[in-house]
Amino acid sequence: METILFNLIWVIPLLTVLVCAPISASHEKVLKALHATSATFVLFVVCVLTYRVYALSGTPTDEAAAPFLLRFFTDIPWLSAFNAHYIVGADGLNMLLLALTAFIVWAGVLVSWNIKGNQKVFFALIQLLATSVYGVYMSFDLVLFFVFYEMEALCMYLMIACYGSGRRDYGGKKLTLTLAFGSSMILATLFGLYFEGGVHSWSIMELSKVTLPMDFQMWAFPLMFMGFAVSSSLFPFHFWSPDGHSAAPTAVSMLAAGVMMKMGAYGCLRVAMFLMPEAAKIWLPYVVALLIFNVVLGPFIAIRHKDLKYITAYSSISHLGLIFLGLAALTPVGLRGASLQMISHGFLTGLFFATIGMIYERTHTRDITEMGGIMRKMPFLGVGFVLAGFAGLGLPGFSGFIAESTIFIGAFQQDSTLTRVVTILAILSITTTAVYILQTANRMLHGNMPAKYEALTDGCLREKLVIVVLVACLLFIGICPGWISEILDQSIAPIFAKISAAAVPAVGG
Amino acid sequence: MYSIPHFIIPDLILLVFPFIVIGSRLFCDYKSKIPWRIANIGLMLIFVLLNLIPLASGEGQFFISNWRVDDFGVLMREVLILSALLGVWLSKDYFEHGADGKPQMHQIAEFIGAIAFATFGGITVVSACDTLTFFLGLEIATIPMYALTAWNKKDQMGTEAATKYILMGSVATAFELFGFSYLFGFAGGLHFSEIHAAVAAGTSPLLWVAVLFLFCGIGFKLTLFPFYTWAPDVYEGAPTPVTAVLSVTSKATAIAFLAVLVYGPLAPIQEQIAPLIALLAGVTLFVGNLGALKQSRLRRFMAYSSIAQAGYIMVALLGPAEIGKTAIVYYLFVYAISNYLAFFVFGIIGHHREETFASLRGLSKQNPSLAIALAISMFSLAGIPPLAGFFGKFHLFFSGATTGHYMLVTFAVLNNVLALFYYIQLIKSAWVDEPDGHLTPLRLTKRQRAVVIFLSIGVVAIGFLPFLSNNIFAGFNY
Repeated sequence: METILFNLIWVIPLLTVLVCAPISASHEKVLKALHATSATFVLFVVCVLTYRVYALSGTPTDEAAAPFLLRFFTDIPWLSAFNAHYIVGADGLNMLLLALTAFIVWAGVLVSWNIKGNQKVFFALIQLLATSVYGVYMSFDLVLFFVFYEMEALCMYLMIACYGSGRRDYGGKKLTLTLAFGSSMILATLFGLYFEGGVHSWSIMELSKVTLPMDFQMWAFPLMFMGFAVSSSLFPFHFWSPDGHSAAPTAVSMLAAGVMMKMGAYGCLRVAMFLMPEAAKIWLPYVVALLIFNVVLGPFIAIRHKDLKYITAYSSISHLGLIFLGLAALTPVGLRGASLQMISHGFLTGLFFATIGMIYERTHTRDITEMGGIMRKMPFLGVGFVLAGFAGLGLPGFSGFIAESTIFIGAFQQDSTLTRVVTILAILSITTTAVYILQTANRMLHGNMPAKYEALTDGCLREKLVIVVLVACLLFIGICPGWISEILDQSIAPIFAKISAAAVPAVGG
Repeated sequence: MYSIPHFIIPDLILLVFPFIVIGSRLFCDYKSKIPWRIANIGLMLIFVLLNLIPLASGEGQFFISNWRVDDFGVLMREVLILSALLGVWLSKDYFEHGADGKPQMHQIAEFIGAIAFATFGGITVVSACDTLTFFLGLEIATIPMYALTAWNKKDQMGTEAATKYILMGSVATAFELFGFSYLFGFAGGLHFSEIHAAVAAGTSPLLWVAVLFLFCGIGFKLTLFPFYTWAPDVYEGAPTPVTAVLSVTSKATAIAFLAVLVYGPLAPIQEQIAPLIALLAGVTLFVGNLGALKQSRLRRFMAYSSIAQAGYIMVALLGPAEIGKTAIVYYLFVYAISNYLAFFVFGIIGHHREETFASLRGLSKQNPSLAIALAISMFSLAGIPPLAGFFGKFHLFFSGATTGHYMLVTFAVLNNVLALFYYIQLIKSAWVDEPDGHLTPLRLTKRQRAVVIFLSIGVVAIGFLPFLSNNIFAGFNY
């Protein structure tokens, strides 16, 4: 029963699209009601299942899923021509990411209520995007994983180019093509994983039982890691993110920054580092060097920007850099911090983009120099934005503090000077983060209000609901992190066990 | 021991089929729908009969073992028949008497007959067991294409394209004949088993010359680098349905030719010719992708796109026979459906406007379903999952990677990004650009709508369903 429900997570969005296909585009209210119902239902299902994963922790799981402790495990032969299977399951990490996705999709559907253009197509694309993200987090077969992973490209371009603002075609193309570039780097290495491992299987579990040849790992790991890192905007592949986010409609920015960029980090952890731990140990120090840009320079760039979405995009770049810092630390604490940061940042950037979208809908500008005094007219939205900002700069009580401090502790445990220096720089860069967040909040929310803003209204009930729910999630993680750590640890343990067991050969190190 | 088992019935029907279609003209006037109906019934019947043959039931050899039917052959027949059927459907509108009372082309019966002959040629290529039949098949497949290219007699471009095509095609034929004659000289026999035995016994410079000439010859037909230059002009000059048939049937025939050759008589030296195949594949897909970047006319664009696809499909030839053949057949199915979907959309647009990128503007607002169909076909050709094109390409790369050609596979995969760029350009025209006020509105007939929906569902569904594990109706025996 639970297994069927679990599989429904990615099927329901798809079914919604099919159900809506014959309905005429003029019945907007019916369509929106259907999509909102489906998103709410999925959210409900995911919450129930997340609770089940928590409740079940400690009990034995399916043997076939070893070394992972997977619940709701399903393994069905799928494409016999190349031995692909349909393998899905949930351990703590991906279940929490699924929950994050469900929240963001639900919020995304609600904030795009008044989107301009063909609403039928837009909501169908959101659901397809949701399917793809759910699928990525659920699947444990590399072909299935990749199919879902690249599906996003199809939806993203159309959504940004048709429903976006500003340089939407440019932004959409840049985003789609860069992400496609990343995924083709991944695809190129997948074949090698299949053949070089000697097990001739796409299953992550099967592949983890062998040690891949070192000369293969040496070229495949950087290719695959960077391929995943493209979608998490690791320097030097960060350039798509500011233009893409700024051109995208609100819901797409939320989904892209909130959940899609985590797919990359998740892939780095679950596929690249897990399957090629020997090469990971050799290559990850170089990744730490790249992080200096993400973590240290990202916030400085954000200070110079005037466009709200650019500021948030650069803030995302720096926060995602912290995820990689946690991953590169290669300590259990670091990995847990990275996973926590994936979830925490998903909620906070979702909240960020949601409030920005709502404010933009009213002011029709995202330039902070043109805005002012918004707090007087839209106190609710203003507070939502400030709370997102506080969570972003790691104020204790919010999830950001928990995640970031765990990462810093984990990274500092790593016995390498470079990592420690970068960690210290990263801790210092929180100050920079505070500068741009407070400066933005100050210019936008306070000060003189332009006369044309007199008629603006505060958020309606639908918008308030989105903000309240997202803030509640941020606070929940921040105040009782033990619950989440407990779920996370059971999925990080097998990954760390595999990584720590890997012996690095002397060559090339 | 000479009997005709059911394996060969579809081939025999297809052999008499064009004569029946053309012959039906004797009994009806030029506006009659009878040839069109016969064509539909005949092709569908053959398709169903082919699907009744259970796969993996061994192979049969007929006619003094000059004609062979195996799994690859059966599936290739299905691809070719499917292509012919879709080509016939696509061409129907061009023979219709429009508002001005004049159809764009005349003589539908002969047109269908020519397509059927080309299809039969393709089937001969996959069935042949000796170089003579093999060569005849290739010629039967090519010569009707020359006529089809110039079918619209009043069109200057079409005539020019046909002239170019004939000249290039004859050179290619000469290359092939030369190659075959050297092969004969080397092996001392025409039958594939004799050639196979001679090749396995040892190579000689004579064999390499033969292989080189054969690859050059087929390079023209498959639009491989550096022999692809005729394709854009011919694709642009020919009527749209002919371009579609040309890009699917004739490409399928050419790749089948290579597959039969590489996995048949030349199998012992597959490893030695792998670098040549890899080089041709890599350069062709790169050149095709580069060429497509700057096109503004739809059919010219499709020409470069299909050049690139030819490069991708060559990657499969590097793999072992079983995987390589499956990959090729699977990809051809996918490619046929995606390509025809694109050409159906272009055809509908071409009826009302010029076939350029500019004519696509505002399509998503005027006719959202057509815009969605176009996006589906373009994303499928670009190889974006979950559409069929991705699984097709995955098959091809899988085949190439089986023998460890990671470099080429990586290069081909990265080239996909380039391909995605130009397919997105086209989608942008349809989805993002604002419509020009003076474009004539689009009207779809019921048949056009049905075909577009059918093909769109096909492109979406074929990909992730476990396809090709057996024929559709193989459970029934006849």
